Amino acid sequence: MNRTNLFRAALVVLLLSVLTAAARNAAPQQQASAPKSAAAKTATSESEEGEKRFETNCGRCHRPPEALSPGEARTVLRQMRVRANLTAEDERLILKYLAP
Amino acid sequence: MFVRFLSFLLLLLCSTVTLCAQIETPIISGGVQFLSTTAGGVTTFNPLIAPVVSIPIGDRFLIESRGTFDEFIFRENGTSGPYHAHTFSSIDYLQLDFIANSHVTIVVGDFLTPFNIYNERIGPVWIRNLADSPLIGGIGTRTSGSSEGGMVRGVALSGKNWQITYAAYFSALVNASQFGAGRSAGERVAVFVPSRRLEVGMSYQRFLQHQHLNSWGSYLVWEPRSAPLDVRAEYAHTRGGQGYWIEGAYRLSRFRGPDSWLGRLQGIARVEQFYLGTPSPDDVLPGADTQKVDLGLNYYLPHNLRVSGSYGRQFSSLGNSNIWNVGVTYRFLFPLLPGGSK
Repeated sequence: MNRTNLFRAALVVLLLSVLTAAARNAAPQQQASAPKSAAAKTATSESEEGEKRFETNCGRCHRPPEALSPGEARTVLRQMRVRANLTAEDERLILKYLAP
Repeated sequence: MFVRFLSFLLLLLCSTVTLCAQIETPIISGGVQFLSTTAGGVTTFNPLIAPVVSIPIGDRFLIESRGTFDEFIFRENGTSGPYHAHTFSSIDYLQLDFIANSHVTIVVGDFLTPFNIYNERIGPVWIRNLADSPLIGGIGTRTSGSSEGGMVRGVALSGKNWQITYAAYFSALVNASQFGAGRSAGERVAVFVPSRRLEVGMSYQRFLQHQHLNSWGSYLVWEPRSAPLDVRAEYAHTRGGQGYWIEGAYRLSRFRGPDSWLGRLQGIARVEQFYLGTPSPDDVLPGADTQKVDLGLNYYLPHNLRVSGSYGRQFSSLGNSNIWNVGVTYRFLFPLLPGGSK
């Protein structure tokens, strides 16, 4: 009987320690994922704003190009900053859209 | 000329080797087109390639240049006889840009003359909706469509819902074979309303050679948010004549999206009129009052390929004519150096 109680108590302690350890591991993950999701949300909203600015500024003359690497997109945007009088903010946001 | 351009490209390529460590990638872009035109019953063929080289240097500089190589293929007697071909090549512009700040960009070299919008912004074959240039395209862009000298441009003022943009330039007289330009000065000012997708602008040029000429122009670009419609229009006036064109392009992207088989189709209509003034031998304008109507269809295939067809009817005291255009255009963009796509 005593042995059974001892076994139950040990099982409870083991479960509690596992749950505690899991909670300790989960807390930093939640803390890390919160800023990560906020950053992703910001990037998405900037990409959406970049799409709007592309359609508003660049769409007056041409359609969006197919896939561009980030380096190519930067060069194209510098060219279009001169040709289409884009502002620095337009350039930054459209880059987020063309090469997220 | 072709060898010279290749040498120039090679020089640019060598210079870019030292630049490949930077974030921006030097690129070569542009368009390839094959166009068949039947005007007044006479058919000609016009293959063309127009590469644009863009090389960023540091954070604020950019070297950009566009060349055009095309061939004009025709039959000896118009509609009969053996075929002949004339080859043409030109450097459309070669300029160094310095982005000083958000309001000022300084351009030096050979640059496209910023008179109205057609010459500088919507003239390239991979951008224009119809193959034929407008009748008034020669106003404000003499003698070659480009200027040699310096230009200042940018966004002068901006608010939440508006921008005022400007470009002011001075061009010297240059008679070099590939960099010809007339002595002139001019400006362009525009108001852009992003929320309405509306741009309205005006241009002025003073031609300062053996004859002093004023050219005036105004333009409008409007893309309503409620429909996939592009409206573009220009008016221009000079001593040799005046005229306007207005063009509407409607893409059927509302039908199952822009990538559906029907959504890739775009219908275009353009109406233009030209009224002759006091012509001079240097003018690149019609020799009589002219009216023209164009109707066209563009089909946007995947991979930047476009198939185009248009019909135009021109009315003039020099003779009425039908103009048919059928063409294929490919728009390309590659890194200038192997492995430069990062």
